[in-house]
Amino acid sequence: MGPVEPTADDGYGGFDRAHRVLAHVRVGMGPEAIAVDVRRRRAFVACSRSDAVTAVDLVRMTPLWRARVGREPIPLIFDAPTGRLFTADARSDTISVLDAATGEPITRIAVGAYPAGLGYHPRLRRIFSGDTAGSTVTVVDVDRLEPIAAIPAGLGAGSIAIDLRRDRGYCANFMAASLTVFDAATLRPLDRIAVGRGPCKTVADPATDRLYVANSLENTVLWLSLADGRIGGRFTVERAPVGVAVSRDGHHVYVCNRGAGTVSVLDARAGAESHRIRVGYGPGDCVVDPATGRLLVSNAGSGSLTVVDRPWLPGPEPPARHPAVGRPLPGFALPDLHTGRIRTTREWAEKKYVINFFASW
Amino acid sequence: MWESRDAGREARHFAEVWNIRGTILLDETGAYAARLGIRGVPTNVLVDEHGVVRAVGVTAPADLDAAVDRLLAGPRGFGTAP
Repeated sequence: MGPVEPTADDGYGGFDRAHRVLAHVRVGMGPEAIAVDVRRRRAFVACSRSDAVTAVDLVRMTPLWRARVGREPIPLIFDAPTGRLFTADARSDTISVLDAATGEPITRIAVGAYPAGLGYHPRLRRIFSGDTAGSTVTVVDVDRLEPIAAIPAGLGAGSIAIDLRRDRGYCANFMAASLTVFDAATLRPLDRIAVGRGPCKTVADPATDRLYVANSLENTVLWLSLADGRIGGRFTVERAPVGVAVSRDGHHVYVCNRGAGTVSVLDARAGAESHRIRVGYGPGDCVVDPATGRLLVSNAGSGSLTVVDRPWLPGPEPPARHPAVGRPLPGFALPDLHTGRIRTTREWAEKKYVINFFASW
Repeated sequence: MWESRDAGREARHFAEVWNIRGTILLDETGAYAARLGIRGVPTNVLVDEHGVVRAVGVTAPADLDAAVDRLLAGPRGFGTAP
């Protein structure tokens, strides 16, 4: 069983009844998905801009090794029976397989175009690759290390969640704003469900029998019943929710807001956001460490892994408004992408304008 | 644009794929974003004619439309809005 969350009379008092950021571990550029080896107390992070997977010692909170993989690894799965890691190299159209103990490469498996999400069914011994540019789900045999089928999905297929109770897969189609539902055993497509705009991450929660979907382009997370596929509710979060994790008891849902540098903590029973946790820049994904209940968050903009102790507890209140509002814009002198010429704030003096900060990660 | 590796190449590729037009400036390390207290992307910053920041965030289309309307309406448009 997972850790027991403390209650009001558990002895935690005053100042200590708050979440606490324990560490920001440097892992590499553009960290995205995280996997945990509970027995060996290790976390693994796919670092998309370092073309590598980094292992982190969860006791010392320090990096252990870094292994080169294909180009732009995004999702990551740890297969405990074989002690292997599987990451999809989005720009290489492959899945790289590593020995989780050492980081030694084992093989690479060809999948569809731009694989950006992986689902995992340990009992069926299958991994499912969401091929974003191919609009397919490639099915891989975890033991034979080879593809066995492709299932048609929607435009922008990516994140995949598996309902282990019913052997069903749910693939989030980013550009189609939908989920493709498939049978993970027979590999037949079953249904398509419309969701919000820009579904970026989907997670199945066996404790509550819910599926969560982060709609990154409309700043919401919705949940639907795994039993009947009906949408049950919707949470409003901060900018660009792209990562989701659920506590083992299903009471808390953690959402990475890539645009805000925060994690929204949702109270699943109350149906509302309870508090926010400030993490690093551009948080992209998160997992709950089953052994400690700690939240591990990868920060694409900071190149770090944030470790949060007792994330279900509130902490310091964020400011009511952004500190830059009402203040003069700091001057900039930045190169123009197309001409290379340095452009400065002076060019826009006495004008009203919008600056849109974005990134390709 | 805030990048971490091969900023020019990555930004050009991204702008082509998503058909992004207009002036694009490179903030390679995110240093300028950090000076503004911006912690992630996407984030919009609205600036008035005096060079004062009037809004930060507002990326949902409806929120952005409303914030731009307030900016165009002048100082009264922002009133007590956060």
